[in-house]
Amino acid sequence: MLEVREIHKWYGPFHAVRGVTFAASRGQVVGLLGPNGAGKTTTIRMITGVFPPSRGTISIDGLSIRADPEASRRLIGYLPESAPLYPEMSVTGYLQYRARLFAVPSADRTGAIERALSLTSLEEVRHKRISALSKGFRQRVGLAAAALHRPGLLVLDEPANGLDPTQIRQMRETIRSLAQDSCVLLSSHILSEVELTCDRVIVIASGRVLADGTPAELRQRHAPESAILIEIADAETTAATIAVRSTPGVAEIDPGPSENGWRTLRVRLRQTKDASPSDQLAAVARSLHNVGVVPRVLTPDAPGLERVFHSLLESSAESPGAAA
Amino acid sequence: MSATFTIARRELSSYFRLPVGWFTIALFLFLCGCVFGLVVLAPGRIASLRAFFGGAGWILLPVVPAISMRLFSEEMRSGTIEPLITSPVREFSIVLGKFLGAAAMLALMLLPTLLYAGVLAAVSPRPPEAGPLVAGYLSLLLPGIFYLSIGTLCSALTNNQTLAFLATLFILLALMLTSALGPAVAPISLQPVLAWLSFDSRIQDFAKGVIDLRHVVFFLAASVFPILLAGTALRARRLG
Repeated sequence: MLEVREIHKWYGPFHAVRGVTFAASRGQVVGLLGPNGAGKTTTIRMITGVFPPSRGTISIDGLSIRADPEASRRLIGYLPESAPLYPEMSVTGYLQYRARLFAVPSADRTGAIERALSLTSLEEVRHKRISALSKGFRQRVGLAAAALHRPGLLVLDEPANGLDPTQIRQMRETIRSLAQDSCVLLSSHILSEVELTCDRVIVIASGRVLADGTPAELRQRHAPESAILIEIADAETTAATIAVRSTPGVAEIDPGPSENGWRTLRVRLRQTKDASPSDQLAAVARSLHNVGVVPRVLTPDAPGLERVFHSLLESSAESPGAAA
Repeated sequence: MSATFTIARRELSSYFRLPVGWFTIALFLFLCGCVFGLVVLAPGRIASLRAFFGGAGWILLPVVPAISMRLFSEEMRSGTIEPLITSPVREFSIVLGKFLGAAAMLALMLLPTLLYAGVLAAVSPRPPEAGPLVAGYLSLLLPGIFYLSIGTLCSALTNNQTLAFLATLFILLALMLTSALGPAVAPISLQPVLAWLSFDSRIQDFAKGVIDLRHVVFFLAASVFPILLAGTALRARRLG
């Protein structure tokens, strides 16, 4: 569906995007994750044809955005950051305008608008002026306009920006349902949102791709250390520590402070080929059981995308030329 | 072409949805009303709108930049230019659509002034003739379209509406002065060229009731150049 190959962008002497390469297919929600100024929006603007890359190629369904600009743009639905709209228009008026711009046949226009309104739950405000809508509704109007012509590639720049938690959840559900027919590429600097919404994450910093994979793959590759959290009675700390330390795969135990007679132990595990994190959890449970310790809490402490992200940014700062 | 008309229609309707559109119309009609009431309806004068067309031509100088200033500047300021230029529409179709929308607004703005012809017909023993009336309206519409093309270009070059307004006004005043004074003060060798380029003399011909097809073609052709430049400016923006 989308193929981005070795794209670069220079703004005068500033090298904003440096050789970004990736491909994405229909049915996928791909997240471009990076800190502010990482090059996410510039990458997105090159993909959507706001401006071309200084070097490199972008194609959508085999159509080059440089050689076939109109045909390739027809395949893209784009929601820019902060959803710019015409405030004086009504919701349906704006959607009709967008449908005409994308040459949706007049026979299909009403159906396409109804579908977009329903998908983004905008039916109740369909006749309202855009200027009278809240930020969340405006974001949805922008999304409805982007999805109106059923594009193969839906590009959303910071779609959750400025939304409250309920609106973010609704936006996530809408994006997931849109991904059934399209390839969705979204940019965000909200880690939790990317983790919950995306099948695949591309981490960008300083215009370079630092990592590309599913959240699980990234965790495994870039934050391989896993851990277990155990909460036990304070009196059993010594026995539990000895038992757990003797369990295969345990690297280190970090005891937390005692609170109301209970203590938390964070057990750091070594990655082994023979045992999965679940096997290691079971082994620790057995060791505790063997010495008669019954923990109040025994749970895996999986590294979040946040730890992956920070680990990647730190390693990129240490070796600026490195890219994965 | 359908995308061009879609953009033109949206542009035209936006003038009537925004206070700035109504204010521009109201200001133009108020000033035209003053000219009509004070100059044309003076007792003892013959039933002719010639003085009105002359005055209204000057009123267009600040009014046309007010119509054109937001065409692109507002889109660039608010960010709506991004969804527009990423739609499958060519740059020149976008520019043409916006220009046509503004031109339709100009034509609609002139429409209520037909009432003056009706008033003149009612209060004068000899109603105004149709030929000079048509020529008079062409003396407003054709230069107005040319002014709009310059305004469209200025708006495509900046995201600041005020700057687009002032730049258009400045260029129009400079053109008017060059057009009116150029043929008289320029070196003799340049005078025939300047006389041919002068749109002031062409406006005068229309005001006299002369509908010369060469003048019509001149104004329409002169409007094409700024429109092409505006398209090029938009294309340059898209090419980064």
